[in-house]
Amino acid sequence: MSVTKLAYYPGCPSDATAMEQDMSTKAVFEKLGVELVEVEDWNCCGAAEVEDPELVYALNARNLAIAEKEGLDIVTPCSICYYNLERSNQALKADEGLRAKVKGIDSSLDYNGKIKAKHVLDVFVNDIGLEELSSKISKKLNLKIAPYYGCYISRPPETGFDDPDDPDTMDKLIELMGGEIVPFSQMKTLCCGGPLMMTRSDIAFDMAMKILDTAKSAGADCIALACPLCGMMLDGKQADIEKALHVEIDMPVVYITQLLGLALGIDANELGLNKNVVDTKDILGKVV
Amino acid sequence: MIKTWELDPNFKEEIMNERGGEHLTACFQCSTCTLGCPIIDYVPTYNPRKIIQMSLLGMRKEVLSNPDLWVCLICQTCTARCPQDVRISDLLGAIRRIADKEAEAGKIKIESSRPIFDKAFQHQLAKYGRLYDMGLAKEYYPKREGSFFKGMMAMMNDYKDFGMRMFKKGKMGPKAMFPEKVKDLAVMKKIFEEMGEK
Amino acid sequence: MGIAVIGGGAAGITAALDLANSGYKVYLVEKNAELGGKMAELAECKVGLSPKIVEIENHPNIELMLSSELESLSGSAGNFTLKVSGTKVEAESVILAPGYDVFDNIAKSYGFGSPDVVTSLDFEGMLRASTASGELLRPSDNKPVKKIGFIKCVGSRCQENEICSTACCAYTAKEVWVLKERFPKMDVSVFYMDIRVFGKDEELVAELKDKYGVKYIRSRVPEVIPERGSLKVKYEDLKKGAIANLDFDLIVLAVGLLPSKTLGRLSEITGVKTDEYGYVETSITSPLETNVPGVFACGTATAPMKVRESVAQASGAALKAAILAQRTEPIPGQEERKYIEVGDEQKIGVFICGCEGEVSDSVDIPAVVEQVKQLRDVVLVNGDTNTTKEVLEAIESGIVDQGLNKIVFAGYTPREYETIFRDSVAKAGLNPYLLEFVNLREQCAWVHDKAEATVVAGDMLRMAVGRARYLEAIQIEQYPVIPKALVIGGGVSGMNAALGIADAGYDVYIVEKESELGGGLRETGELQSGEKASDILKDLADKVAKNKQITVYKNAKEENVSGRAGSFKANIVGDGVNEELEFGACVIATGAKEVAPEGYSGNDVITQAEFGKMLGGTVSANTIAMIQDVGVGVDAKYSSIELVANALKAKEKNHNVNIFVLYKDIKTYGKWEVLYKEAREKGVIFLRYETAPKYEGGIVSAFDVILNDDVQIKPDLVVLSTPTVPAEDNERLSKMFKVPLKKGFFMEAQERPKMVLTPVDTVNEGVFICGSAVYPAMIDECMAMSTAAASRACVLLAKNFMETPAVSSVVDELICVGCGVCVDVCPVEAIELTEELVPVVTFGVATVVSAMKKVAKVGDGCIGCGSCASYCPSSAMSLKHFRDRQLYAQLDYAL
Ligand SMILES: Cc1cc2nc3c(=O)[nH]c(=O)nc-3n(C[C@H](O)[C@H](O)[C@H](O)COP(=O)(O)OP(=O)(O)OC[C@H]3O[C@@H](n4cnc5c(N)ncnc54)[C@H](O)[C@@H]3O)c2cc1C
Ligand code: SF4
Ligand code: SF4
Ligand code: SF4
Ligand code: SF4
Repeated sequence: MSVTKLAYYPGCPSDATAMEQDMSTKAVFEKLGVELVEVEDWNCCGAAEVEDPELVYALNARNLAIAEKEGLDIVTPCSICYYNLERSNQALKADEGLRAKVKGIDSSLDYNGKIKAKHVLDVFVNDIGLEELSSKISKKLNLKIAPYYGCYISRPPETGFDDPDDPDTMDKLIELMGGEIVPFSQMKTLCCGGPLMMTRSDIAFDMAMKILDTAKSAGADCIALACPLCGMMLDGKQADIEKALHVEIDMPVVYITQLLGLALGIDANELGLNKNVVDTKDILGKVV
Repeated sequence: MIKTWELDPNFKEEIMNERGGEHLTACFQCSTCTLGCPIIDYVPTYNPRKIIQMSLLGMRKEVLSNPDLWVCLICQTCTARCPQDVRISDLLGAIRRIADKEAEAGKIKIESSRPIFDKAFQHQLAKYGRLYDMGLAKEYYPKREGSFFKGMMAMMNDYKDFGMRMFKKGKMGPKAMFPEKVKDLAVMKKIFEEMGEK
Repeated sequence: MGIAVIGGGAAGITAALDLANSGYKVYLVEKNAELGGKMAELAECKVGLSPKIVEIENHPNIELMLSSELESLSGSAGNFTLKVSGTKVEAESVILAPGYDVFDNIAKSYGFGSPDVVTSLDFEGMLRASTASGELLRPSDNKPVKKIGFIKCVGSRCQENEICSTACCAYTAKEVWVLKERFPKMDVSVFYMDIRVFGKDEELVAELKDKYGVKYIRSRVPEVIPERGSLKVKYEDLKKGAIANLDFDLIVLAVGLLPSKTLGRLSEITGVKTDEYGYVETSITSPLETNVPGVFACGTATAPMKVRESVAQASGAALKAAILAQRTEPIPGQEERKYIEVGDEQKIGVFICGCEGEVSDSVDIPAVVEQVKQLRDVVLVNGDTNTTKEVLEAIESGIVDQGLNKIVFAGYTPREYETIFRDSVAKAGLNPYLLEFVNLREQCAWVHDKAEATVVAGDMLRMAVGRARYLEAIQIEQYPVIPKALVIGGGVSGMNAALGIADAGYDVYIVEKESELGGGLRETGELQSGEKASDILKDLADKVAKNKQITVYKNAKEENVSGRAGSFKANIVGDGVNEELEFGACVIATGAKEVAPEGYSGNDVITQAEFGKMLGGTVSANTIAMIQDVGVGVDAKYSSIELVANALKAKEKNHNVNIFVLYKDIKTYGKWEVLYKEAREKGVIFLRYETAPKYEGGIVSAFDVILNDDVQIKPDLVVLSTPTVPAEDNERLSKMFKVPLKKGFFMEAQERPKMVLTPVDTVNEGVFICGSAVYPAMIDECMAMSTAAASRACVLLAKNFMETPAVSSVVDELICVGCGVCVDVCPVEAIELTEELVPVVTFGVATVVSAMKKVAKVGDGCIGCGSCASYCPSSAMSLKHFRDRQLYAQLDYAL
């Protein structure tokens, strides 16, 4: 296997709303024999709220520089963190002036463009590879799954690592684990509404509802995703959406790392499957 | 009726000088951005293409005070599809930052709580290096509502069920009451001082 | 030696035929197993191209190298050695015509994998299939399609392919037209950014909108969403200023053209440079020359373009290549022919061709063969052939080996294949007029169902055999070709055409009505490419002056034109001259002129041409309003390009100048798209109007459809894009040379409606047209076209003699719908529409019901030019030998 050690960037929600994602990521990599070294004293990537690109570059130059010292590529389970890290990486790599400017702020921001930032999904499917994974998978997911990719896995094109309109990295992984993909193409990369949660929850709820509803009508047992913000919206806020829109959804939402963990035979609690807000018991019953 | 001589012909340069706004003038008004934008299903007036055309013409005031600027999801759909590489997502960000400065200077009024939220968010980063949810909420709600008390009420309203849910799942324990801090806070401060909004 | 042509698409085929028909040896190299290139995949085009392919396959001067590729090239102009799939080929010059590929990296957002979203190329296939089946079915569920949406600019004018593909606006219009003709109830919407069509295509689009009810909607649609069994498309309803949806059964993506994938390798092998977009690099003044002397390029290898422009370039390249080569082969049809004497014994051979399924699918050929065998004097019936090549061989051997002396051929339309068949018969030693055609494909297979078709075919053949019995050999008269050419008009096109013909070794006369050469370009300062117009003109004029084979008549006009292809006469009258000239071919290059549009006045109102000159000095204005596309006349192909180039230059001169462009469609086709982008990037503001802007009291006002609001500008300079009108003399020339005009511009001969394979030929053989006299175009196109006209003229001048034609048109009253197109196109006004009692319901050949209907009637004035036949939308017109016509009259009632 080509990957044995990676720098790990957990992202801010990792010890709060998305702790199950953090737990499952760590458990899966351990099971796969990939060592994760947490980026020492990492700082926030800027999320979607820091809009000034150069501020984002500066923030992430620090994270990248720390990993670079270790000589490790960074992996993160969060799509926004991935986007911010990798676009900073590309901008800094390409622009010497920018590098100098950022370095001028503080020497700890001295990043030389020697590493890459990666999303866990990319690492699983494209670096470790399906073949390798299949040799380690011990359980079958007897599940109908709606794979939800959200925004930053495949957009914008410079950082996206899959088709912007109809990505399939996660589909491939799910199929490998025995899961069945429900028809979901048009929802895969539609924004979950998360960025407007705090300021226009009406819109955000409608948008999330569209995704949940499509998954439900397609007969999905659960939605699989790969971003804590999407998780917060679709799982954390699902009850609020039900209440606001007077509907009943009850759609389990799990991180792809959790599903992979299950397929690899890792204990459900170790994967934080008891932390997902919408109950995941029915899912667990279908993993054999 | 748009009288071009009353507009600001330099507005386009102003935007293009802002980070992210560089590609403004490449736009050829094709509608790709608007038609693929998920927001148009919810906000009928929303039209990034039109914001661009108005910016090009120099309709500075109308653009900067347009509340629609603040409903963009930064979802990158438009950026991914724009045939002219206008990078609308970043471009709108640049316009929002100009609008924000204007609002700070008291020249316009922004009818959206989004800048308050974004700033509150950034303040957490500047202070702690990481997101501190409580701190964010404590700053955002009172500012949005115009008073501490109203803010707290609004926060309670938004969070009472959600918070409980999180709490039950062990995601909002006592730990979340305190900020997770980056050790090297000095550098955070420097970053925001050098690069952040002044 | 000879000339190697690489690529056997429309361009390669045209170049090869022009060369071979003027006595050059041609090696035609095609990487596929078949000729035709992309055109062979296009619904309407294939029909037009097939006869040319047949001609090539049977051409003694062409060595056809199929499934072959160029592997190496060495030597230099006049002495190249090529290796083509292992075979060594020696050639004096090389023509590259490797064509294009279509954009195939289509975003998944177009339908998310739905089979009902197809590319235009697939759609051409569907259209072709619908000809036979009469239905257009949705791929997903085979239900009839009722609503179609076309999405333009897919894979063009975008990051992956910066430039405009030029052809797709027009081909979409053509596809829509074919569709609406075939399925009049079809609901059609076209989503577009700018409608980039010119001339006839522009009229077609207008007709589609107004007459056919096609909705043209301005939105670059990024996604197609499958929803509840149909395809949803969101668009901007600019009138309402809101987003709207439409549902469709089928979506057609007008995919763009890309440089051929093989060009990279060809460029490595030949050393020919490609430009930044991957096309062969040529220049605006030498559009056919590559950086390697002796290697020429044409067609879509040089830029995306339509067939018309591709084949014009091809003819041009053929001449350029020929000039470097030696003529080594005989010219077909120029050999002495002796025909066998037809005695009293009738030996009729009947050949029924399956036409690659087009006939055999509907007609039971073996059954017809059995019937025909019974007929008197029929000694041979062959129903085994399936392609033109096969049937031609069978006919030849029937004449040579079995002594057939009358031939009946049943299959394709005589309209396109007549010459080939007659030639073949003549080659075998039989007088070519002892051949009788039966149009089984169009008049039987395509219009009847299977049971009926076989009966009708039997009847048609019975009549044909009857007619054949009466056929008599016709003495063919020959007259010598005068190896000289007359060029009318001494502008860029005229001078360039004259130089081309002179370089090929013929004497040329140029007649120019003004006192100096140069024409319209004298009014231009700098070209869009940066070159000075005056330099280009000076260069051409110097070459003309130095060339001993060219005689120039200035301040002169031509009068009293008479004669026909190969042998014309005219008087040149002017300043102290009155000479009678004799010439074999004529090139009309009278150009066009700009007019100041009405409705805008003031000292601060100037034209783009004037502004172009002003840019040579100082421009003091701070705010400039440019208004596009107003007034009567036509929209020159250079109009938008001139506009963006001037705006860009003005911005480059003074960054602070405010420039507002009020436009309808910015037509910066092809590579010119980048100029448009640069202009925007430099800060030129583009505003789109639908109703003409006003200029009053120092204020330009227009309703901007994009902002959905009135916009006012206070310019200190208003620059107008002026419409172009034909040269004054065109009317007179049209009558004299029997070349019809459309909107005052000369019309080319068309193979069939909406399709041009002979862009510089006219209905009057021997008279060629080029440059802005055909349509106001950019310099590169004028240069290519004028070389093409020269080339076509040289093909004719290379012949020693011509044969007197003796044909005229006949109307098939059954099919004629009385549309009157022929009346308009006939250059000699020989056709009129009359009300006549004609059969409207027939069974077999028997008339069941007759009724009065409008039909065309050809009068005695007909010169047999064939215009009506090529324009007739219902294929009701065809050319017939005089004698045939009489026979038809006698026999069809008798039998
Ligand atoms: C969907 C669609 C519809 C269209 N409809 C119209 C229309 O209605 N009217 C119109 O005017 N135009 C139309 N066009 C454009 C038209 O197809 C082109 O203008 C025309 O086919 C160009 O001819 P060409 O000979 O330059 O190229 P091609 O047709 O591409 O021919 C090139 C030939 O060269 C061969 N070749 C390539 N490389 C090599 C090599 N290395 N060695 C040997 N052989 C090689 C290829 O196999 C091919 O046979 C349409 C285009 C599309 C995509
Ligand atoms: S997609 Fe790009 S070019 Fe098109 S309107 Fe939007 S910004 Fe302009
Ligand atoms: S980034 Fe904003 S403008 Fe662009 S598609 Fe997403 S929501 Fe619409
Ligand atoms: S504008 Fe250009 S690229 Fe777009 S459809 Fe028309 S011709 Fe093709
Ligand atoms: S063939 Fe005869 S009738 Fe037809 S257009 Fe020519 S002259 Fe007229």
